[in-house]
Amino acid sequence: MISTSRRKFLIATGWVAGGVTGLYALGKHAVAVAPTIIFPDDTSGAAWVQIRPGGICHMFFPRIDMGQNANTGLAQIVAEELNIDVLDIQGVQPSTSDVPPLAVTAGSMSLTAFSRPLAVAAATLREGLRERAAVELGEPVTAVLDDVGGFQTTDLRKVRYADLVDDAALVIERQADQLVPELYAFNSSRQKKQVGHSKSPLGIRDLVTGGRVYTADVPMKRVLYGRAVQPPVRNARIASLDTSGVAKIQGVVALVEEGNFVGVVCTTPSAVDRAMAQIHVTWDLQQPINEEEISRLVDVDAKMAAGDLEHILQDKAHQPNVDWSIDLRFDVQVQTHAAQEPRAAIARFNDAGAEHRLEIWTGTQDPFGMQRFASMDTGLSEAEVVIYPQRLGGGFGGREHYEVERDAVKLARAVGLPVKVQWTRADEFMASRSRPASAHRVRIASDEQGNLTHWWYGYVTGHVVFARERLPGWLLPVARLSEDSGVVKGAISPYQAAHQRVECEDVDLPIDLGVWRSLNGASAIFAIESAMDELAVLQGKDPVAFKIAQMQGEQPRLAHCLAAVRKLSASQPLPEGAGYGRGFACGIYDGRCFVAVSADVFVDEVNQQIKVLHLCCAQDVGMAVNPDQLRAQIESNLVWSIGMALFERFEVDDNTIQSSNFDNYTIPRMRDIPSMDIEIIDQPSLPPTGAGEVALVAGPPAIANAIRDASGFRALKLPICFSDI
Amino acid sequence: MELKVRVNEVEHRVEADWHNETLLIVLREHLGLAGTKFSCGIGQCGACVVHVDGAPINSCLVAIQDVANKDVLTIEGLAGDDGSLHPLQQAWVDENVPQCGFCQSGQIMQALALVSDTPDPTDADIDRAMSGNLCRCGTYDRIRKSIKRAALAMRGASQ
Repeated sequence: MISTSRRKFLIATGWVAGGVTGLYALGKHAVAVAPTIIFPDDTSGAAWVQIRPGGICHMFFPRIDMGQNANTGLAQIVAEELNIDVLDIQGVQPSTSDVPPLAVTAGSMSLTAFSRPLAVAAATLREGLRERAAVELGEPVTAVLDDVGGFQTTDLRKVRYADLVDDAALVIERQADQLVPELYAFNSSRQKKQVGHSKSPLGIRDLVTGGRVYTADVPMKRVLYGRAVQPPVRNARIASLDTSGVAKIQGVVALVEEGNFVGVVCTTPSAVDRAMAQIHVTWDLQQPINEEEISRLVDVDAKMAAGDLEHILQDKAHQPNVDWSIDLRFDVQVQTHAAQEPRAAIARFNDAGAEHRLEIWTGTQDPFGMQRFASMDTGLSEAEVVIYPQRLGGGFGGREHYEVERDAVKLARAVGLPVKVQWTRADEFMASRSRPASAHRVRIASDEQGNLTHWWYGYVTGHVVFARERLPGWLLPVARLSEDSGVVKGAISPYQAAHQRVECEDVDLPIDLGVWRSLNGASAIFAIESAMDELAVLQGKDPVAFKIAQMQGEQPRLAHCLAAVRKLSASQPLPEGAGYGRGFACGIYDGRCFVAVSADVFVDEVNQQIKVLHLCCAQDVGMAVNPDQLRAQIESNLVWSIGMALFERFEVDDNTIQSSNFDNYTIPRMRDIPSMDIEIIDQPSLPPTGAGEVALVAGPPAIANAIRDASGFRALKLPICFSDI
Repeated sequence: MELKVRVNEVEHRVEADWHNETLLIVLREHLGLAGTKFSCGIGQCGACVVHVDGAPINSCLVAIQDVANKDVLTIEGLAGDDGSLHPLQQAWVDENVPQCGFCQSGQIMQALALVSDTPDPTDADIDRAMSGNLCRCGTYDRIRKSIKRAALAMRGASQ
């Protein structure tokens, strides 16, 4: 028996009124400056799904939309449970006071972690409604059958959800010890109407008509414009500062200096530009910033020659002194997010007595993190601070930090009026927390039949999750004693050998680093898949068959992807002639997502360029909730792979960040885009695996392996330039 | 000095405080038309494309003074008064183009210029016309399909 309760539901503070506090105590004790990591369980979803008067299903979206459109997939699950259409769901992006603390949106975890809690919540609601319908219809619960948007009896008497909810929203709590009702979304033998069907992203109309959905679009009365100087690295200190020219700029309201923070508030955006041009800062750095220094710090060979690397990730009968068939070093350059939307934030302080003393509008992957940071920054309590999360114009792991928000808060507080801060593209590059450079040494030995006997893979990279200032200073050295979960992504290969060792070390680089699409996954798997391809080539073997054989049956889902992509690629023959090549690669992201990619390339000697002609991808997605949106994420990862493999080079030199805009950081354009064939491998009985950063692990090595096939050139560093060949 | 600009067939007076701004800033911050986006500020990405007297331009590079008394068309002016989507917008929905969506106003406005000049664009035409519009999410393949779909619909409508 499901216990149901109806409560007066306060829209603004619904979760408090709904009585689900207490489950979220972790949120209050989380480390204040770390990203919010509170994953939901089977009781969490009650705060997110309600039936409101009129029978409307109201859903607080638990994820931040930044292009992956995860909330659409989650709404499909709710719709499936409630026997309604996904378009009938009234979805709202909640503020931090609307719902209990939620985990940062990251790691391709949205469907994996949130689909079941939402399904449980919606199914619990459905069964509670069924009990009411039974009373209404005068029938036992077992005689009340599902109908669209309500229930019916066998003699076709109907009752709608609207008939079962009166003047207050219906919220049903589920205690942890209650039985979970049947979950329609996860019943693989059930014919589904929502889950497994391609649906347009919710809110798509706003995205093609110029709707106000991003932070800088939020209308705000009496708003002023501000901006602050971004240092080349966050541990830099101001050595000298000259702001003498600011005063003569028309439209300047305030010049704000506080420690290493310096910014302006003005009446118009162009006044901000003119005032910022009058601020001249030189910085004291703790380490020199240049590429040679970064290369020196990640020099894997020097580190391995000196002894074991810091973290031993796999160690099985390691034998270091054997005759290696493959002994290759791979280097991956720093690459950055370059999301289309430069960050923006609006902050407004309110008088004492207002519901919230500080309101912040921002596009962030971690609204609850921003609430904690702003609380610490201002001395206000967390309850006095509210974050209104806006859609992100691209996230890719780069938007978890209190940065543009801090600028807006400091400036708004100084002038006592709302301030909008819009970063420039140069700010965006300067303050980016990029994917670190890394260096990889892969050694493989094989027996007379060519089967792997020894595997020794070591790599050195900058920090990812434990990058500077992602954690408080006192915690950082302690945290770094353990493995950085971003650094270890992709390190364990799917290939089997009697003797295996994988080791890594993460080091402090002189630039700001952080989470980038796939974290270390794409870098590590580029090295592993390149090395395995080279071994296949040296042995004169078909690389797909060789790789599948070396998995020794241990990775059937991955092997299936590889076989599927081979078949897919065969439907489009490679053009004949010199310079054309085809390559394959596969990989496992985060131990749970399986993908294989093939690439066709043309190494064009005449025009001195490398052109990707065609990409195929087979991805095992677990349960495919929204096939078209999965396809969209795969397309996105394949395009990103072209940038990672061939174009993107984050340039640092002369103690600063040199990449400042799209004219000196090249990302793929329309003319660079090949045809693509994608196969979604649907496993309806398995949980959804996530897709936001999966195919990126296999795309770059597939391109590198195709270049090897086309030209004989083995790419040992990314990005690959024609001049390297 | 009075400064007027017609946007989506409506005449607006630009107040004196805003005379030193770009067209992009005036649209977004003064006239409340936030559909046109700021992304690079140097004409490298196309997020801010609008039409001035029928020609596509990067509005981040144009001073508001330079469009005085001219006709500006923005993404907000594309749909019909009854809310019906322009064939390009409809194609964008039919192909589920947007991911983050931030670049799509500019993509659609650039595509409008292409299909206006070239009713039946080839892949090469699309590459040429659209390579100034960046999409970090990588929706290019769907943009290509949408342009062809919309062009077909528009050719059908004009016959």
